Amino acid sequence: MAEFVQLLFNGLVEGSIFGIAALGISLVYSVLHLVNFAAGDFLTLGAFAAFFFVTSLHMPFIVAVVLSMILGVVVSLILEFLLWQKLRKSGAGMLALFLVATGVAFILRQTISLVFGSNSRKFDLDQLTTYEFLGAQIAKTQLIVLCCASVAITAIALYIKKSTTGKNMRAYADNSSLAAVSGINVDRVILATWSISGAFGALAGVFQGTVQGQFTNGMGLDLLLSILAAVVLGTIGDAYGALIGGFVLGVVMELSTWDALFGGIPSTYKPVVAFAVLVIVLLFKPEGIFGVKARKI
Amino acid sequence: MTAIMQPGFWVFILTMAGIYGIFSLGLQVQYGVGGILNFGHVGMMALSSYTMAILVISHGINFWIAAASGVAVAALGGAFLGLTTLRLRGDYFSIVSIAFSEIVRYVIYNSDNLTGGVQGSLAIPVIGDNYPSYTDTWDSLVNHIRDFLQPRLGDYVDRDFVMGVLVWITLAILLLLVSRIEKTSWARVLRATREDDDVPAALGKNVFRFRLQAVIIGSIIGGIAGIYWGLESTLLSPDDFLTLVTFYGWMILILGGATKVKGLPIAAIFFGFLYGGTRFFTFWPFSIIDSSQRAYIRIMIIGFALIVLMMRRPQGIFGKRQEMVLE
Amino acid sequence: MNNLLLEVNDVAVTFGGVRAVNGATLDVAVGSVTSVIGPNGAGKTTLFNLISGAIKPTSGRILFEGLEIQNLPPHKIAERGIIRTFQGAKVIKRLSVLENLMLGGQNNPGDNLIGFFSPRTRKAYEDQARDRAMELLQQIGIERFAQDYAGILSGGQRKLLDLARALMANPTMLLLDEPFAGVNPTLVEKLLEVLDALRTKHHLTFLLIEHDLETVMNISDRVIVMAEGRVIADGQPNSIYQNQAVVDAYLGTRKQSS
Repeated sequence: MAEFVQLLFNGLVEGSIFGIAALGISLVYSVLHLVNFAAGDFLTLGAFAAFFFVTSLHMPFIVAVVLSMILGVVVSLILEFLLWQKLRKSGAGMLALFLVATGVAFILRQTISLVFGSNSRKFDLDQLTTYEFLGAQIAKTQLIVLCCASVAITAIALYIKKSTTGKNMRAYADNSSLAAVSGINVDRVILATWSISGAFGALAGVFQGTVQGQFTNGMGLDLLLSILAAVVLGTIGDAYGALIGGFVLGVVMELSTWDALFGGIPSTYKPVVAFAVLVIVLLFKPEGIFGVKARKI
Repeated sequence: MTAIMQPGFWVFILTMAGIYGIFSLGLQVQYGVGGILNFGHVGMMALSSYTMAILVISHGINFWIAAASGVAVAALGGAFLGLTTLRLRGDYFSIVSIAFSEIVRYVIYNSDNLTGGVQGSLAIPVIGDNYPSYTDTWDSLVNHIRDFLQPRLGDYVDRDFVMGVLVWITLAILLLLVSRIEKTSWARVLRATREDDDVPAALGKNVFRFRLQAVIIGSIIGGIAGIYWGLESTLLSPDDFLTLVTFYGWMILILGGATKVKGLPIAAIFFGFLYGGTRFFTFWPFSIIDSSQRAYIRIMIIGFALIVLMMRRPQGIFGKRQEMVLE
Repeated sequence: MNNLLLEVNDVAVTFGGVRAVNGATLDVAVGSVTSVIGPNGAGKTTLFNLISGAIKPTSGRILFEGLEIQNLPPHKIAERGIIRTFQGAKVIKRLSVLENLMLGGQNNPGDNLIGFFSPRTRKAYEDQARDRAMELLQQIGIERFAQDYAGILSGGQRKLLDLARALMANPTMLLLDEPFAGVNPTLVEKLLEVLDALRTKHHLTFLLIEHDLETVMNISDRVIVMAEGRVIADGQPNSIYQNQAVVDAYLGTRKQSS
């Protein structure tokens, strides 16, 4: 029982991180029809930027996190102006978008590697304090991450639901040409989308770095598989679906290691579980767990 | 600097270019003909080379049977990928394929008993033991050819040279086969599916079957590249099969003009020089950074090249612009 | 035995809560020209998509030559002999006009890998298909574009190409989705000529969709009127004019659109 609670809690924490990162990818996909393969490296960027602000510039952790989110936004917007905008105008196909996203991923990752090397880093946080809850050991850092993630998720859900830009974002995702002629400020929608994706990517990276204890330049790439699985699980392009997909996947991945469940699989095979879930969903419910089977005529 | 002067270095570059060329040809069948975006192609290479090596080393199976099995496993990998996602929208296939190759690499990495794991110890013979390396049969073949050719052609014909020649002969045969395939009505249906599924379906073509076959053929070619990769590197490590390698293949494909095979070998050589040549940027200003950092810069250059290529010349060096823009 | 080629029995389909086709029943006799007309949103194209297998009905049955086809995928239905054209004509823009036509060939040995290993059979089929395709192109008068990308054709030419491509498949029954819409009158004459020849010489059966009754008046043996996903009238072209339900449906939409 204690182990179950422990795994469930770990799963929720991990799931909240997947969810935040998956939300960014899904939002970008719905508005820009682009699968951002560079998203994983934005997580790495976020973690290393926060590390730099704290360690080298001696900033308080909170300030460092906010600055790293801002950096995520800035980098995303620079890429929008340098690349994505031009590609959209030239009517680039799916292949061009995929390959440019990959090129961006290479450059980001190698730049981080060049600056910080391949050694693992850790945040100077209290990693040791734990609380006991129903027999499970819950780290203070995990608890903080889960709380902050919940706040962030609520904020973004409200933003998409209530704010004008958020509403426009949904309208644009549903029908871009209709939205454009009905007077929606398309540029603002696109910039907001990239900003959310950049900020949340960086935030997810900081969270992951905090929970893992230590992290390397490959952190984001290692997570990309699970995050993409969460995106597909929640139907590509559905932001809320991506959030829930992230939580489901996080919990399933953790619980798969539970001894009571057929002896549990070795924890190093967790990403394999993510992939298996992805394949099973695609085979039996390709529209995602919450997708409605609708076909255009 | 001295390495650049050695003919052996250029033989190595050309051999690698040939292997990447074969690898890229697999993508050509999938994308150039069928418009299928496979970003997990390196997974097929990993499957075939590891299957071959494991069968030879751990089970003592004949090299040729092991190599054929390796290619067959790659084909099965392609079939698995296709059966799960080819019925869905194209982007699903791309996402799942990239996940697939990462999973293959991850499993290899973590299955120490089977694959030697991260050490890549699979091919290293235990000292004092006559434990076989998977390249034995191949090496003796190569040596025979060398012994036959050397007296006739000259001293420059060494083991590596023969290897390079065999790789390029394989590539030439495969190029010929693929260009034949591309003239069939099968390829015509696939080229139609790049634009629209409804038309071929309404004319009685099972679009899914055509796509699945294209993915399997591409995976077989990728598997053949994997066998050569294993033979050339003589030691397998999961890090040989990073997603990065798939994108090397894509770069060659785009450079050569994705819808035509004839540019592919030239693009492969071009890539070989870009990839291999940057290893020897040891002079100033590159000399101020150490070798691991130069490796980072090399991949950055590849990233830049991908972006510039897609922004400036998406049809490649030899491709037709018209085919990219026709509405 | 009856002489019904196609029977649609109480077929319905729902998209996201909307019943696009709501209990449609109709049949098509062998060798006839049957036209389905109706205002926009009447469910005509959805009906075609159901018959050709592009979408599966939520309920009801569709029989072709006495056998159920409603659960078959589109390519299987095409193999049985029902070939459709598309509203607005779909051509593969980056294939040549000739290649577009040659897509229509059935049981092409070159379509599968076994055929790849018997080049002679493959080539014989291709040669024959090419001849037939050129013949069709001559009939519809666009043979001079044979080697050009189909993307350069005009809208009317695309319609002709779409029709010719369907004929390449040697269908038993042709489903034509608005073949005359947006086509200039000379071309309409030409199309009608081609259709008439096909009917008398090759005993093809036609099911047409059109927006207006006038267009199909003279060529149809029978007219089926749809509105809001249902069949509201069915009979000889002349009898349709007198049908009150039809008048209401049409006048209703005219009022809305004007």
